[in-house]
Amino acid sequence: MPYPLLADSITFELEAQEPWPQLITLYQPYEVEQILLPDNANCLAVQAFLKMCGLDFQIEPRSNAEYMSPSGRVVPFIKCGQFLVSDFDSIVTFIGNKGTSLSDHLSANCKADMRAYMSLVNNIFINAELYICWVDETTLNEVTKIRHGSVYPWPLNHYLNWQKRKEVIKKLNVLGWYNKTIEEVCKEVQNCCTALSERLEGSDYFSGEKTPNELDALVFGHIFTIITTPLPGNKLANIVQSYPLLVHLCKRIETSIFSLQAIGVK
Amino acid sequence: MGTVHAKESNMSRNINESSNNEKENFKENNPSSHFHEKMNLLERKKGQAVDLHLKARVDRIHVDGLIRTKDDIIKAQVTELFKAQDFYDIIIHAYKVREKLQGLGCFGNIGIYIDTSHGPHATPEGVEVTFMVNEMRRLTGGISTMVGNNEGSVIVQAKAPNLFGRGERLQMEYSYGSKSSTNISISIVKPFMGSSRHKILTGSVFNTSNRFPWSGFSQCDKGLLIDLAFNPDGTGILKHNLQYEATYREIISSKHMSFRVREQCGPNLKSALRHICSIDKRDSLIFPTTGSLVQFSTEVAGLGGDIGFVKNELTVQTNWTPHEYATFQMGFQSGLLRGISNDMKINIADQFFLGGPLNLRGFDMRGCGPRIDGNSLGGNAYWALALHLYTPLPFRPGRHSFGDLFKLHGFINGGNVSNFTLKFANDYKENMKIFKEDVRCAVGGGIAMKFGNIARVELNLVMPLLFVRNDVLQQFQFGIGLQYL
Repeated sequence: MPYPLLADSITFELEAQEPWPQLITLYQPYEVEQILLPDNANCLAVQAFLKMCGLDFQIEPRSNAEYMSPSGRVVPFIKCGQFLVSDFDSIVTFIGNKGTSLSDHLSANCKADMRAYMSLVNNIFINAELYICWVDETTLNEVTKIRHGSVYPWPLNHYLNWQKRKEVIKKLNVLGWYNKTIEEVCKEVQNCCTALSERLEGSDYFSGEKTPNELDALVFGHIFTIITTPLPGNKLANIVQSYPLLVHLCKRIETSIFSLQAIGVK
Repeated sequence: MGTVHAKESNMSRNINESSNNEKENFKENNPSSHFHEKMNLLERKKGQAVDLHLKARVDRIHVDGLIRTKDDIIKAQVTELFKAQDFYDIIIHAYKVREKLQGLGCFGNIGIYIDTSHGPHATPEGVEVTFMVNEMRRLTGGISTMVGNNEGSVIVQAKAPNLFGRGERLQMEYSYGSKSSTNISISIVKPFMGSSRHKILTGSVFNTSNRFPWSGFSQCDKGLLIDLAFNPDGTGILKHNLQYEATYREIISSKHMSFRVREQCGPNLKSALRHICSIDKRDSLIFPTTGSLVQFSTEVAGLGGDIGFVKNELTVQTNWTPHEYATFQMGFQSGLLRGISNDMKINIADQFFLGGPLNLRGFDMRGCGPRIDGNSLGGNAYWALALHLYTPLPFRPGRHSFGDLFKLHGFINGGNVSNFTLKFANDYKENMKIFKEDVRCAVGGGIAMKFGNIARVELNLVMPLLFVRNDVLQQFQFGIGLQYL
């Protein structure tokens, strides 16, 4: 009996008709001490998306945000009234159900393109970030272990680092990324950047219009995090820096939505 | 259990030899009927009454069947037998020694054999006592079932007794419960028998997982427990347990849980010292008729780890039987939990909960106290009091056998659990609040059954008298478990 699923979708639908009942709260790990590259990129993407939608939200840092997440180890997640939604895509869908969407006006073709690029970004960037953080020995020992374990007491930090690493490796193994060399990973990122850069050619945003949408938010989250996060070697940052179009997109979005002077987008 | 073997011919010879005047002496000095009763019991096997209060001295003790077990621990167990003054004493002491030997956990069946002593060093009223022991095999195992608190489980266990010949054992246990709780533990036990104070040191590692649907979370624990028990098998004397526990606990969210509980999800590390002292003078664990139990435990968490609190708990039970058909029982439990610093958290798993068919009857499991969105949050202080009146089944079917497993009981129980802050200043009223405000109370009656002398099953009809709007009430309750209020 598909009751639970049905009930879920019905409540989602019903909820959608109501105006914003309460403030949106975004839960994420501590930005300064704890958060890692992939999580930070996702959190920033969600923040950018919410800002683009012109929605007010509150950031609530929690050391156990990962474990509080309703869908198992995915940060960030938002709390809106009784609803908890995690993962960038689900959040976009949820906000869309509420009647706020950045891509509703696009043609079906454009939407399909956008989805394709989003899945490209999700596949390449996230896996590359996970690889850098958990597989690359220098980054693992100098940054990841220290940051990931920072909120736990000894000896729990070592255990949890080991546990998390095991999980990530298992995931990367399934996706065929674990056996890649760092050069191959860089190559993948490079290809992805080239594709994105080509798509962006000559326009302000990926849609080719004057306003950004979720793809821009997602790309912004990743590119901005990769550029601004100091890591030993800085391999990813160096690659991304060589695509001026992407860097400019980042700067544009940053100034338009994250600075105080910005005129509300949309 | 072993048996007392007595060689008839020798026994009677012994008695004939030295008894005539002894017997008379004894009858004058010590005409206690109680002794005679016991003697008759002991002698029933022989079919004839023999007066055993004749002077005797233990010349020698033999222990037959030792292979791996080291002599020193056996010596420590049997030496008290040499203190026996007369033959009756010898038998009583021999029983005690057999219990002690059994307590070592190294032997299967133990037989006692008493004979007059022979040889050049034999004294006139000397006897030799022989214990015939059967050492356990190197590895034993089994599958059994157990009832925990409202849950039945299957246990698979393996044991390697008497590893190094001094009662050390390694045991492994895996249990799987009907509510999908699992528990794996490996422990190593080392008894210290030599000194007058009997101590047992146990170190164990465990991995358990439990679901608490009433609070909306599941909990997964991996940990280490070191326990030092003083007088562990002494009945009626003060027992102490000193424990150190280090546990990695993970609180796992379920789909529908209140956000207040969700906030506490994730891993945490508890490192705690615990002291439990108890004195149990009851005559039975499940249906005691007389005697009391007092247990006090103190737990201090926060020696490392990120969980910090001080927890005190008190359990009292006292029984009174004014008539064969009526036993009154009063049970009281209370606890107090305090944080020790702002850096150290107190998790929901540490809180006190109240309610359940063997706890505060009339309420669902964790059915009273602070709750939000249907999830019980628990409190940092609680008390619960229960008064029972037990009677045997009417018309006593199956008397002295099956029927004695059942009792009817009527009860009234009450309690409260809440979050309260202890005020040390003269704020008596504020501190007594927990005994005055929102007190829960229920009366009821039902049938109770004992299960293998460790667990208890209850079927009750309860009427809640005092409750709060949030509480989850149950009028018909079935409970099964080891601990009860």
